[in-house]
Amino acid sequence: MSASQSAVRSRAEAVQVSRTFDWMILFTLFTAVLGGYHIHYMLTGGDWDFWTDWKDRRLWVTVAPIVSITFPAAVQACLWWRYRLPIGATISVVALMVGEWINRYMNFWGWTYFPVNICFPSNLLPGAIVLDVILMLGNSMTLTAVLGGLAYGLLFYPGNWPVIAPLHVPVEYNGMMMTLADLQGYHYVRTGTPEYIRMVEKGTLRTFGKDVAPVSAFFSGFVSIIIYFLWHFFGRWFAKTDFIADDAS
Amino acid sequence: MKIIKDKVAKLSFVALLVAMTAAMFYAPTASAHGEKSQAAFMRMRTIHWFDLNWSKEEVPVNETMTISGKFLVFAGWPETVDKPEVSFLNVGIPGPVFIRAGSWIGGQLVPRSVSLELGEVYEFKVLLKARRPGDWHVHSMMNVQGGGPIIGPGKWVTITGSMSEFVNPVTTLTGQTINLENYALDNVYFWHAVWFAIAFAWLLFWIKRPLFVPRHIAVASGKADSLISAGDKKIGMVFAVGTLVIVAASMGATNEKYPVTTPLQAGLLRGMKTYQMPEANVSVKVDDATYRVPGRAMQMTLTITNNGDSAVRLGEFNTAGVRFLDPAVHEDDTAYPDDLLAEEGLTVSDNSPLAPGETRTVEVTASDAAWEVYRLADLIYDPDSRFAGLLFFWDEKGNRQLVTVDAPLIPTFI
Ligand SMILES: [Cu+2]
Repeated sequence: MSASQSAVRSRAEAVQVSRTFDWMILFTLFTAVLGGYHIHYMLTGGDWDFWTDWKDRRLWVTVAPIVSITFPAAVQACLWWRYRLPIGATISVVALMVGEWINRYMNFWGWTYFPVNICFPSNLLPGAIVLDVILMLGNSMTLTAVLGGLAYGLLFYPGNWPVIAPLHVPVEYNGMMMTLADLQGYHYVRTGTPEYIRMVEKGTLRTFGKDVAPVSAFFSGFVSIIIYFLWHFFGRWFAKTDFIADDAS
Repeated sequence: MKIIKDKVAKLSFVALLVAMTAAMFYAPTASAHGEKSQAAFMRMRTIHWFDLNWSKEEVPVNETMTISGKFLVFAGWPETVDKPEVSFLNVGIPGPVFIRAGSWIGGQLVPRSVSLELGEVYEFKVLLKARRPGDWHVHSMMNVQGGGPIIGPGKWVTITGSMSEFVNPVTTLTGQTINLENYALDNVYFWHAVWFAIAFAWLLFWIKRPLFVPRHIAVASGKADSLISAGDKKIGMVFAVGTLVIVAASMGATNEKYPVTTPLQAGLLRGMKTYQMPEANVSVKVDDATYRVPGRAMQMTLTITNNGDSAVRLGEFNTAGVRFLDPAVHEDDTAYPDDLLAEEGLTVSDNSPLAPGETRTVEVTASDAAWEVYRLADLIYDPDSRFAGLLFFWDEKGNRQLVTVDAPLIPTFI
């Protein structure tokens, strides 16, 4: 702003304007991430996140972290390298989950009357917080990708288990055994989601016996590392200021 | 400054709109009214529903009703639709206005997908428990992998009462009786609230200080390291370790509270019990079939041979759930939906009893507005312009025989 007159006349006013700016940018960031991340997650994680009878020990555990580490990695890249703010992952996931809760509560329950206990979103927050702290302490993309990506994958299942476990209590129903989550899916009729499109308990990790969840979580963690790198680069690229013509660096 | 502020404000508004659109983007389909929009050949040549019965027309909340009947998996299944090797017996209702308390094919509970054989008849029953008051169109329905939903006939059913009174008690194998309608819901809210609170605390810890402008200036002038203090790192450690501890502790506590859990159950059910229809000893040959567009009538020339030992008469033609009856032979007493029932819709040029051993060629006309209303007439625009349906004959003792027909259909426009 060298050529033009300064818009502020005192230091106090500058501080105040800067703070107004903070809130506006935070609000914009939050809502933009909410929109983009939410659509992305619905298209990639979709039914695995919508319904309890999709939340199994294999594919849900594998898919959810891999497709959800994307925006956190990109927003971290921007907020950390430009502003040294270690909140990129947490703010993304909070935005996503706020959007999901609005959708599940207003549409799934309020509009279509599915009980909330069948269509609540997965909890991605523990992994996001750890991801942010690792970036802050290590100040390294590689470390965050490797350690953080793995932690993000590993924390997903235990982070959701307290919520999902009650629904995995078995029940005998007309001569068949199923979990309460299976029964929810059976009781609460979805005409567009027939049983066969449910992708649960499928996969090739069966050689590990009954402890498939930890194996799936490790696998998910490894893939999350790669996805983290990829999206961190996306984030850095988008956070560039080259496309702004002026002298802004 | 003012301009930039305006721009950011505008951008915020756009972002808010995008976010709201995204949140509104998805709601599970509330309407189940696909029956008329489904291609006619799909409805005529895949699953033929018959002997349908809706046990009630009005049900109070918490009480049950059944849809029962039979379906024939048509032998001339269209090439363009995947075979029903993986299918799911569903009901076409607008969302969970009823819960599906049970569903059976040939007496076997079918909460999972099943494999069906072409040319076979199956008996089915769906038990529905009323949940949400209103007038609902209740259809039988079969989802076929690679073929989509195949919707059967629908009937209006009224649910009375109040949804707030709906309960869904279930007794688990660990001995508790729970209400699945809101079971574990407090637990869901509790854990999500806990994690949101922790996440907000972390965000607040950073957001309460001046952010973008001063921090950007510091980073740009090479003083980035000064932005993270030793105290910040300590707090960060507390959050990370705290997260791990809470995850581990809550997982341990959960395992103690729910020692018995099982994985989700899945898998295809094979070898479903078929229903044996009485052996048909009438044979039918379709000489030709035309659909007269202005008259909304289908006309078939049939050569019928009676190989049995009792004289028979043609009483019903059923296609895509629309039933055309000859009242002189058969009348409906099952309160079949009006719009799908043409009580006098079937005319046979000579429907006197066909004696054993006799062969006769007759003109059969099936006419009703249902051809248009249910868009069955669109068949003539389908890629494979064939029609198919079920013919029911009755002998002197009142026994019924089922014969399927499947032949090309020629439209006439004058
Ligand atoms: Cu309908």
